[in-house]
Amino acid sequence: MITVERVTRRFGSRTAVDDVSFDVKAGEVFGLLGPNGAGKTTTLRMLGGLIPPTSGTVRIDGQPFTRATSHALRERVGFLTETPGLWDQLTVEENLLVYARLFSVKDPRSAVRSILETFELRDRRADRVALLSKGMKQKLAIARALVHTPRVVLLDEPTANLDPQTARTVRDLLRTLRDAGRAIVVSTHNLDEIERVADRVALVSGRLIAIGEPAVLRREVFGHRLRVRVGASREGTPAFVRAAEGAGAHDVRADDGLLSMSVDGANGSTPAIVRALVEAGADIFEVADDAPSLEDVYLRLLETGRPEGLRYSSKEYPGAAR
Amino acid sequence: MNGRRIAALMSKELREMRSNPAAILPVVLLIAVCLVLPFFVAIVLPAMTGESLSSDRTIAEVLAYAQARLPGLDALPPESAAQAFLFQQFLFLFLVAPIVGAVSLAAYAVVGEKQGRTLEPLLTTPLTTAELLVSKVLAAFLPALAIEFFGLALYVALTVSVAAPGVARTLVSGRSLILVALLGPLASLAALQLTIAISSRVNDPRSAQQIAVLLVLPLVLMLVGQVAGAFVITSSMLLAVCAGLAIVWILLVFFSVALFDRESILTRWK
Repeated sequence: MITVERVTRRFGSRTAVDDVSFDVKAGEVFGLLGPNGAGKTTTLRMLGGLIPPTSGTVRIDGQPFTRATSHALRERVGFLTETPGLWDQLTVEENLLVYARLFSVKDPRSAVRSILETFELRDRRADRVALLSKGMKQKLAIARALVHTPRVVLLDEPTANLDPQTARTVRDLLRTLRDAGRAIVVSTHNLDEIERVADRVALVSGRLIAIGEPAVLRREVFGHRLRVRVGASREGTPAFVRAAEGAGAHDVRADDGLLSMSVDGANGSTPAIVRALVEAGADIFEVADDAPSLEDVYLRLLETGRPEGLRYSSKEYPGAAR
Repeated sequence: MNGRRIAALMSKELREMRSNPAAILPVVLLIAVCLVLPFFVAIVLPAMTGESLSSDRTIAEVLAYAQARLPGLDALPPESAAQAFLFQQFLFLFLVAPIVGAVSLAAYAVVGEKQGRTLEPLLTTPLTTAELLVSKVLAAFLPALAIEFFGLALYVALTVSVAAPGVARTLVSGRSLILVALLGPLASLAALQLTIAISSRVNDPRSAQQIAVLLVLPLVLMLVGQVAGAFVITSSMLLAVCAGLAIVWILLVFFSVALFDRESILTRWK
């Protein structure tokens, strides 16, 4: 649904986005991650047709954004900008109504009623926006981006300023939109959140550093790791480490009765490691996959750049393959 | 251009105006001044000083020059003709008032959206630059025009009831119609379009306001020139000015669209 082909954006001598390629399918939530100044907002603006790329192409449903097509293509896009940008002197309902009409929604009043219900804003519909809290404004801005039921949804920091309950509502809504076949791109710093909703993530820092499903990125960056909780025994721990290494584990780390190790393959060597630990005298309380957080993956990738063997090919993502 | 989108954005502008009535206060005040000033000069002042208008040598000279060129004056007695001449000239003030007032609204139009951070979401919609700018111009123009027409109706009504007999009838002429229905609106549109064009390039509404108000100068010169007897602008001259203004306005529409740089506004404006 969204195709980004070798997109570069320069502002004078500064390159904000450098040869980035990816695609987002219908029914997919795609997370755009990166530090401040990494080009996330610039990328979103190019996806929304607000600014053109210096080189490369952005397509929506196969149609490239050009001067001639951009107005029509913007009808298919719902864009939550970095700041809510609501008209303070207008009421909640009036803000939504103006946007529903700008997007030529057939029955704007009914569309506004429906989105007010979805976001539980019905009781506040007659309130002036100036009277709303930051969180409510953010909620309203998201509602505004969706009032015309766009096929493509671009969200820049959607849960900024939201309380946990409303953030959960937004996450649920993203899942609902995904199930309804929308293509959703979310730019955020909140890695915990993106991990909960994104089907795939892209890490950008000017250029594309990594792209893939969170679980795959984790595995590619850290390998498959196993966590074994054993009975605490200071004396036994070195023996347990040796036993695990002897059974095929690498990079074994021990911390107060908790062993974390890298293993080859998904589960192939796990029984051998457990047997070796038992034979070394360990009491085993728990064996589980040791999944590093997306934050660990993010930090590692930012420190080291793209590790060898990440799962994208130069054919699929030419910008990432350099 | 999509009329529905223009109407949608205009409705937003008008709602904002409704929630902040002080915004149109300058127009209302100027119209009030336009209403009071002619009656003070043509009726109250002569009554206070005890000297009739027609006995003033300068006015008599200007009137003699104007009577040959302006319709309806030569059929009136000297005092009524002097009053009618002045009331006709003060019609020019009604052209200036909406420009000055509406320019203050328009000056804020794009800068205000920038300052409120509401422009970027607006640019994510299918709204074209021309639609955006025309909406802004019309939203400032229509209320100012409505207030101007209301003020003019009051002006004529007051002239009927306060001025000498026959004076009000001279106001209802083809020349006045050109002034009020063509020259005024076209001058306002041109001034507003210029204001909006400048408003999209500056960070402070005052900059746009100050530059655009310069467009009032030619109108003021027309008023002063006529009252001083330097020239009398006839209907055909007014039509020529209107044609010129219409061309200027259309050129300004293209100019303001070309000047509105979406990218710079999004990426460089702080």
